[in-house]
Amino acid sequence: MKQLVTGSNGFLGAAFVDRLIQRGEKGIVCLVRPGSDRSKLDAVLAKHKGADVRITSGSLGSIASAKALIEGVDVIHHLAATVGAPPADMFLGTVVATKNLVEAIIAQKAPPKLVLISSFGVYGVADLPKGTVVDESTPLEHRPIERDVYSHTKLRQEELVYRYHAKHKFPLVTLRPGVIYGPNGGAMSSRVGIKFPGMFLYLGGKNVLPLSYVDNCAEAICVAAKNAKFDGDVYNVHDDDLITCDEFLARYRREVEPLRVLPLPYKALQLVSKGVLAYHKASKGQLPALFTPYKSATTWKGNTFSNAKLHSIGWKPIVSTEEGIARTFEALRQRFKKAS
Amino acid sequence: MTLKIAIVGCGKIADGHVDEVQKLGTETARIVGVCDREKLMAEQLAERFGITSVYDDFAKLLATEKPDVVHITTPPESHLALARMAVEGGAHVFVEKPLTLDYASSKELVDTVERAKKKLTIGYNFYFDQPTLEIDEMMAKGQIGDVVHVESFYGYNLAGPFGQALLGDSNHWVHQLPGKLFHNVIDHPFSQIIRFLGDDDPEVHAFGHLQRDKRLGDSRDDLMDELRLVIRGRKTTAYVTFSAHIRPVAHFMRVYGTKNTLHVDYDARTLAFDPSPTLPSAIGRVVPAFTQAIRYAREGIKNTKRFAKSDFQFFAGLTELLRRFYGAIENDGPPPIPYRDILRIGKMMSTAFDQLGQHKPAGKTAATGADGAPAGEEVVS
Repeated sequence: MKQLVTGSNGFLGAAFVDRLIQRGEKGIVCLVRPGSDRSKLDAVLAKHKGADVRITSGSLGSIASAKALIEGVDVIHHLAATVGAPPADMFLGTVVATKNLVEAIIAQKAPPKLVLISSFGVYGVADLPKGTVVDESTPLEHRPIERDVYSHTKLRQEELVYRYHAKHKFPLVTLRPGVIYGPNGGAMSSRVGIKFPGMFLYLGGKNVLPLSYVDNCAEAICVAAKNAKFDGDVYNVHDDDLITCDEFLARYRREVEPLRVLPLPYKALQLVSKGVLAYHKASKGQLPALFTPYKSATTWKGNTFSNAKLHSIGWKPIVSTEEGIARTFEALRQRFKKAS
Repeated sequence: MTLKIAIVGCGKIADGHVDEVQKLGTETARIVGVCDREKLMAEQLAERFGITSVYDDFAKLLATEKPDVVHITTPPESHLALARMAVEGGAHVFVEKPLTLDYASSKELVDTVERAKKKLTIGYNFYFDQPTLEIDEMMAKGQIGDVVHVESFYGYNLAGPFGQALLGDSNHWVHQLPGKLFHNVIDHPFSQIIRFLGDDDPEVHAFGHLQRDKRLGDSRDDLMDELRLVIRGRKTTAYVTFSAHIRPVAHFMRVYGTKNTLHVDYDARTLAFDPSPTLPSAIGRVVPAFTQAIRYAREGIKNTKRFAKSDFQFFAGLTELLRRFYGAIENDGPPPIPYRDILRIGKMMSTAFDQLGQHKPAGKTAATGADGAPAGEEVVS
């Protein structure tokens, strides 16, 4: 079986390739963009000499190039997305690239299976009461423009894939991970708070963090690729023993760095958000609308989460949250020490 | 009368155009349609900015919306053809820089617009940026005197969003430009110094080199990232420095006049004359630092007042350019940036790129090699 991994040199992508190899999978083809930083993927491949893995250099920039890349492929694990770039580039690298991929898929006589990696960012939780359980039946975001570019691109990506799926019925499963974390990842989810120079604005409070340790998330993709129905079914991905932002931050400050913290309770945040939005509008965008009431409700109002459906297809976490945090914080501590 | 505006090309630079047009208010201008060959891109722009009409066919947009002005924000190789279509469709054109791929095409574009009796301007944001307008005032008051020499420094961050986009993609359109990276950037310093050069055809000497390590293994490794230009006019000379490696990434100009030397920081938007000792001996060497501190404090206060009035926007120069361009259309006045300046810049750029010998287009990276195998594929283990 030949399986293509897009975004294979990203944070999740490299961990996923590692997981595939550890599970004894064969015929793994890692797609990387020409000239991109392959260090994470190279480190994984260096651990597994003799594994049946190839790197292929190319892009999903056109339908023709996507067709060439999926020639003879049985399963496509589509992890690639453009993040941290101007909105048009994020849209181009995420939505347009996915359209090219799906066009290539439906052009095949026997379309390969598509495992789409989406995000919790597609859920529209702002209008839901505090504490609402987010599961696969939670409504999708209906005001993505008011939220953020990432949610907008991931939502439009999913919608596009499902439009094609409704018409062409190619095999499809979608996974929506929560906060993916791990030793090679970023330090802090914005669900906990936002780091400013010399100060950490703490916004998460007692909210539950939908953490997904990167190896557990990779395992979820492997399990879904094996056991999902591929009828367009969707699975939320997060770990079992979730902790609150309070617990996460306290431990971070103990084990990584002693942050100077300014806590902002949710009600105060809503007031600040109204002020920030009003200024943004009145000043014609002189300062960005970092907070708006809608964005704040989406991220910091507080939800609970369910991964029961993922369990139903046989997924189990391979790393506990306790162990995942210990590994992550140790790596961050070393990084912080090196930087300072 | 509200001008009907259309945008063709919905990549990242289109955001700035739409944003600034909308800031002018609907009594001045209204965006009636956006167009991109990839309709998804037109849709995302329209969705984010509340625009109702979306096209993937420019001819259809022109026929349906009949815009008064078309903003052409596509890669430069298509500017000439799109501008021709736009003016033939009855629209004035705002073309994003660089105008075209070479001087001959730029001349043809300007001629096409003039023949159609339409107006053209180009995205030289710094031509009417606040510091530039202040320099014009100082020049008019005679505070600088005759300009003997100008230096423009333009720093560039290859790790920024634009740099990453072109280094991350060997098929990025910048690699196909005759002047490559420089072609997409040095309009800016040229548009700052052009007002001091009276000559139609100043002498240009270009020196470029590659400073960073080669690590990508394809044509991107040949992309020069350091440029020095020496320009000699009859009365005024100029240096232009483009650097992707000097830190901090600065953007400034120095104007050396017979009465004063002015330092203009385009990022901080400050202007200050270099101090000249007016007191004797050691005291004369102590005082200038305080004189400078006071000058910069005044600039800080000036900018704070502007900020308080929401008059300290990132694209302030583009807003002013739009205001003047739309005003020229309304009143049938001269275009805000003289075509002579646009063409002189185009000519200097072509001369510089000829000297650098970067004209050979970068080879396209195909997704498949000659044998049908994905290009660049390697068996890792």
